[in-house]
Amino acid sequence: MSATHGTASPEAPELSGDAVATHCPYCALQCAQTLTRTPGARLPLEVAGRDFPTNRGGLCQKGWTSAEVLRASDRLTTPLIRTADGGFREAQWDEALTLVSSRVESLQAENGRDTVAVFGGGGLTNEKAYALGKFARIVLRTPFIDYNGRFCMSSAAAASNRAFGMDRGLGFPLEDLGGADAVLILGSNMGVTMPPFVQHLAGARERGGLVVVDPRETVTARLTHGDRGIHLAPVPGTDMVVLLALTHVVLAEGLADQAYLRERTTGLDAVRRSVAQWWPERAEAVCGIPADELRRTARLLAAASPSRGGRGAYVLTGRGMEQMSQGTACVSAAINLALTLGLVGRHGSGFGPVTGQGNGQGGREHGQKSDQLPGYRMITDPAAREHVAQVWGVNPDVIPGPGVPAVKLLDSLGREGGPRALFVHGSNVVVSAPNADAVVESLKRLDLLVVSDLVPSETAMLADVILPVTQWAEEEGTMTNLEGRIIRRRKAVDAPGQARSELWILGELARRLGVLGGFPDDPRAVFDEMARASAGGVADYAGIDYDRLDAGEQIHWPCPDARHPGTPRVFLDSFATPDGRARMVAVDHHAPADDVRADAPIHLVTGRVLQHYQSGAQTRRVDELNDAQPAPFVEMHPLLADRLGLSEGQDAILTTARGVAVAAVRVTESIRPDTVFMPFHWAGAGSANRLTNDVTDPISGMPEFKVTAVAIAPALSLDPTIPEEVSAP
Amino acid sequence: MKVLVIGNGMVGSRFVDELVRRDPDVRVTVLGKETHEPYNRVLLSSVVAGKTAPDSLAMATADSDRVDVLAGVAATHIDRAARTVTDSRGQRHSYDRLVFATGSQARIPSIQGIATDRGLIPGVSVLKDLDDAEGIVAAIPKARRAVVLGAGVLGLEVATGLASRGLAVTLVHHSDRLMERQLGDAASRIATGSLTRLGVTVITQTSVAHARDRRGVLSAVTLTDGTELLTDMLVMCAGTIPEAALARGAGLPCERGILVGADLASPADSSVFAIGDCAQPPEGGTGLVAQGWDQASRLVDQWTADAVADRAAQPSEQVGADLTNVVRVKAMGLDVVTMGLSGKFDHGERDLRAVRMSDPAIGRFVEVVVSHGLLVGATVVGDKQCASELSAMYTRMLPVPSDPAHLIIRPLASAARPAATSVADMGDDHTVCQCNSVPKGRIVAAVEGGCGSVEDVSRATRAGTGCGDCRSLVGDIIRSCAAAQEANDAKVPALAGSMEG
Repeated sequence: MSATHGTASPEAPELSGDAVATHCPYCALQCAQTLTRTPGARLPLEVAGRDFPTNRGGLCQKGWTSAEVLRASDRLTTPLIRTADGGFREAQWDEALTLVSSRVESLQAENGRDTVAVFGGGGLTNEKAYALGKFARIVLRTPFIDYNGRFCMSSAAAASNRAFGMDRGLGFPLEDLGGADAVLILGSNMGVTMPPFVQHLAGARERGGLVVVDPRETVTARLTHGDRGIHLAPVPGTDMVVLLALTHVVLAEGLADQAYLRERTTGLDAVRRSVAQWWPERAEAVCGIPADELRRTARLLAAASPSRGGRGAYVLTGRGMEQMSQGTACVSAAINLALTLGLVGRHGSGFGPVTGQGNGQGGREHGQKSDQLPGYRMITDPAAREHVAQVWGVNPDVIPGPGVPAVKLLDSLGREGGPRALFVHGSNVVVSAPNADAVVESLKRLDLLVVSDLVPSETAMLADVILPVTQWAEEEGTMTNLEGRIIRRRKAVDAPGQARSELWILGELARRLGVLGGFPDDPRAVFDEMARASAGGVADYAGIDYDRLDAGEQIHWPCPDARHPGTPRVFLDSFATPDGRARMVAVDHHAPADDVRADAPIHLVTGRVLQHYQSGAQTRRVDELNDAQPAPFVEMHPLLADRLGLSEGQDAILTTARGVAVAAVRVTESIRPDTVFMPFHWAGAGSANRLTNDVTDPISGMPEFKVTAVAIAPALSLDPTIPEEVSAP
Repeated sequence: MKVLVIGNGMVGSRFVDELVRRDPDVRVTVLGKETHEPYNRVLLSSVVAGKTAPDSLAMATADSDRVDVLAGVAATHIDRAARTVTDSRGQRHSYDRLVFATGSQARIPSIQGIATDRGLIPGVSVLKDLDDAEGIVAAIPKARRAVVLGAGVLGLEVATGLASRGLAVTLVHHSDRLMERQLGDAASRIATGSLTRLGVTVITQTSVAHARDRRGVLSAVTLTDGTELLTDMLVMCAGTIPEAALARGAGLPCERGILVGADLASPADSSVFAIGDCAQPPEGGTGLVAQGWDQASRLVDQWTADAVADRAAQPSEQVGADLTNVVRVKAMGLDVVTMGLSGKFDHGERDLRAVRMSDPAIGRFVEVVVSHGLLVGATVVGDKQCASELSAMYTRMLPVPSDPAHLIIRPLASAARPAATSVADMGDDHTVCQCNSVPKGRIVAAVEGGCGSVEDVSRATRAGTGCGDCRSLVGDIIRSCAAAQEANDAKVPALAGSMEG
């Protein structure tokens, strides 16, 4: 047990013999937890919050109840193989793995190596994510790997990379927020998605400087009440217009940080010209926010910024504005505002996207992305290929070129020339991907679907082979949280039955597919190799190892060598661009791809509730969470409900260009009357992603989850158009 | 394809930028009379008001080697038969398509004494370009009084802008009401009240007859009713005239502006187009940049075939309504927005539902006009929130509530929050801790079970262990339980006492 010795520190606290220090299984805040073993009890351990700079001891209901998932009643404990009658039968590991490897071999012999694809997840540990990317590239030797982080951080990553030459998520410790006079939050509802985060907003709230941009009056938006700040509720899909108008006001009123712009940025002139056309009165008619409110907000942010004598300001973005077909541009607009105010790369101010998935940061750094190798290296860069190939002990030519992003990958499955086999790890695409009905069709076209999961998720139920894996308190590893801080996940209990780590599974499959060695099942060994592979890359972990982490060091990457303390705050001296300056990229607004129209005149936005995480595969198996949030719903304003003839609790039928869903109505004044909201955690008739648009951002490949046009009507009982549940054949 | 664009203003430059982005083969020559780069003319009144720095007005221009912009070069002659345009340097340019984006010029009313052979006398100006704006700004420090002629949008913006800079401003208007094309009597009266509060004197149903100067510099104006006003400045905001002379000279049909069809082409020559203020489309020119930009986009769509399908889905094409005619006064302290049907129109028309609220005491007036479930017009004075929501609803053609009255009472945003519920008013099922779904009842039970501090309650119920925001509320609940307990305890001896007495 690694956490029981050494000096007391957040990452290596003094704990009694039966206690283990780890972090929550869910979101990117990665709240610190203490797990205490409870032999003989219904659950194998007890969870408590642990003091840590990010969560300060806090946990939300998901975290408190996370032990329930260890003993989910339908937890997968043995490999399952689909039978001729469409059911599953239990199998031994050897049989299941040999079946998988022989099917892969024959499909590849028939159709070429590209016929196998891999879909990863942002919840996998760094070690698993790294091993999965390596497995795809040198065992399967397919270019086709991507992951659900494409649905999460890709727009923010693309915009950060093009502006700063690097994407480190927040780029500063979360605690820094507390000292700022203003925090601008766009499209994130952390009051619900990562509640302990809210503690870091206390300083800005005290000084009246919390600004929340969200079409809904969310829990987070309500934190602005009582003169704590400003809530702007734009028309869905127009966050970009808000940002362009704010930047317009900053420049027009002479509030910009001219010295910073001169010394640390390029591209101001083009940005100045692009925002010249977004004066507040014009923006008002597009985004629905009064011009003077936009001015007031811009002045508040400017007054907080260091060049105007303020204590600092932060601009934070979330999925609400990133999951758009203009998501990358939208984040660029946020970055431009932050740069105009002189916030980025400055102690006490900054810009950052708020990462969502547990290892959304690390998951995007180590080779799960279709175009990247470990260390956030581009797969097309010959030097990067050379370096990684050397670590992997292969010829660089063995490593395939870039694949395709997630939505395109899923769409291509089973089509002419597309992959015929798919491995899914840590993802439940049937619920979490856009245009979910089409995703089900894609998976059904496959000759071989292999899903590794904890529980029989909706995606697993479509598989030919299901492999049971370990989770959270059953495994060792590392995660990289939303601040780019590398943290340790530690084992407290054994996994039930035959469940095994993906590291072991990948090694066994590699061996069966003729690659001997290179896939150890010891996470520490995988981490050490990953650190070497990342050396010299953008996300450089070379100086990090388990010993340093277990000794209690707080390390944020980049950390190029063993004596390097890590980099809590990035860009303080210069940006990671060739000339060391941040690049401002001029962008303009366009309407959503599937915009409101006469026969679909309402905006549908999707999001989350506190009690559930992502596709709900874990949280829907926790009674306490289900009791609090049992079923899908559609939130609407009383005026809209009145017009549609709907009332509280009644079922509404929602129709978009892609699909139909049914959900119970919740009437609330906290949403615009031109907009409805659905959480996306459920499968079946109420699955929000049957409705969402799979059109993608041209740069990031991010789908437009966050806004589409919908028609709504009361659902009649026995209505034949109500879709069937997605279920296993 | 060779395209020649005459005019390098807000509409011309936007058109060229979009065109070269969308059409990879097109080559464009732009003849721009002004030497300035294209800039945002809409914000000139904000420059006058001191709210916008002149250097932030420059607009984006096409970044392409397929565009040749000749700044400071005017078009002087068009030979439509030969498809050539001659410029002020005598150079000839051939074209496949010719686009007029020549804009408009300020209308200068016939007022005695405002001009000499050298032009307008010092102190008298219009506000049409950056030089005008900078001239006015330069004169402000020495000026005490100003007269603004014309109470259209620009006149209101200039009058309030100058007033905000400390000048005594008189606004002179020929009609009996302000913005007479957009406002009815009641709305105009309320807007006038707002202007008065901002220190602007409003005189209607009159005009400026002549100007008097002292040593060549404006010193006073006399109105048509004989009133004389001492003034240091006269800004004429008396409307604009489409710049159509060149087109007229080329034999193209023109009325007020250059006549074009719905396809923005001249009915006399299918290779000649006009967009922006110089054009007179079937629905009429509004003089708003939104219309010009919409025309620029439409023309590019029309010329690039792939866009046709996309465009067909656009709301503006579905019903042929002009959604660009949102008129918005940019002035601090004076909020006037109109769109679609507004001012004096036939309220008796069958399919229209018009609902009006007039609230002069606080300077508020709202009228909404609804037809077939859609907002087709609105007039809003003195209610920013309502105005912004109605404009978004109008431009996006969003359905209105069953009863249009809701648009006035409280439009899109929810009503002001009720004050936070006090602990006593909370039901037992009221969720106190959102992060852990803990209702008040469970907290009360924990307190009754012996928890005496917030920490105790947190341990027992997890309330306050997420974001921590409810901790003070948990404290309140503990205190209220304690108070109730005390009252309860006190009751017994009190009762006993009364029995004794």
